[in-house]
Amino acid sequence: MRRRAQMEMAGLVVIVILITLGILFMAQFALKDEPDKNIFTRKELAASTMAAVMKMTVTGCTEGTAQFPQIEGDLLDDCAVFGDVHSNYICEGKPSCEFLQFKIEELLDQTLGVWGKKYHFVSEMVSNNEEFLYIDGYNAVTGTGGHCQDRVRDTSGDFYLPSGNGLVRSVLYVCE
Amino acid sequence: MKRTKRGQVHMSETIAVLFIFFILVLFGSIFYYKYSEVSFNQQQDELFARRAIDTTTKTLFLPELLCSKGDAEAEQFCFDMMKLKSAESVFADNKNYYFNMFSYAKITVKQYYPEVPDGGTDTWTIYDNQKPDTTKTKPTYFIVTLKDESQQSNGEPTYGFGVVTVEVYS
Repeated sequence: MRRRAQMEMAGLVVIVILITLGILFMAQFALKDEPDKNIFTRKELAASTMAAVMKMTVTGCTEGTAQFPQIEGDLLDDCAVFGDVHSNYICEGKPSCEFLQFKIEELLDQTLGVWGKKYHFVSEMVSNNEEFLYIDGYNAVTGTGGHCQDRVRDTSGDFYLPSGNGLVRSVLYVCE
Repeated sequence: MKRTKRGQVHMSETIAVLFIFFILVLFGSIFYYKYSEVSFNQQQDELFARRAIDTTTKTLFLPELLCSKGDAEAEQFCFDMMKLKSAESVFADNKNYYFNMFSYAKITVKQYYPEVPDGGTDTWTIYDNQKPDTTKTKPTYFIVTLKDESQQSNGEPTYGFGVVTVEVYS
């Protein structure tokens, strides 16, 4: 009788082991990592987007020295030096900082935003980490978009600009 | 008589155990089959996505479109507008050559900045070869700079903002 009880116990143990193995197998299947291709495209996307934004030249600017000022070399430099107080460039009727805020957000919303990516763009002074330009895709009306803080995100890498006010670091983060 | 009944009980027990065992085996088989099926589809999707990425990479580094400066290294993620405007005819004239490179795909470039005035062209379809019985398409987007040598400022070209869309067909 005791031996039979032992055998039944062993049978139960086998069933429990089988069920545990099944659950582990299912969990492994369910928690499979994100495919590499998504990571690859997002990383390259952040780098190419930032390179394009920084290199872009702007038409329709008055004052300033350059006829078609470049975002990084002219407008970002101007914004870092003068901030909201004054601007050497007036583009589409806006001073450099306001124009950059508006134009970069518009372009990124038309592209990354439409493709369902979240992003945030930061330009800061390296000396004191003071952010003078912060753009994220959050749309208060639709409630979509938003920044990539506290998320798995990819970076464009740092873009450094020696401005008249010190070294400026700009970076773009893209996430799902 | 007593002995026969005990035998019958044993027999029922054995049958019940075997039944449960086979049910478990059946569940296992169904699960494994489903897993293999999903895994196979996932693998197919990954191969398809890899093809999309390969095609995009080839497009981004195509000398026929890349911004070049004499012997200097080509500018990354940059298309030359002059090359872009004539690319459509170049690609159409050398269909077989580009089919070997891109297979069934569609490549378009759209200019977002500077805005093109009404009536102007802001989208160029440089390659379009759709598969007749296509079941799946996968678009991949990349942002590029559009260099325009025809509009210069202090001897330097102007740069626009555009998107290259590569759709591959399966």
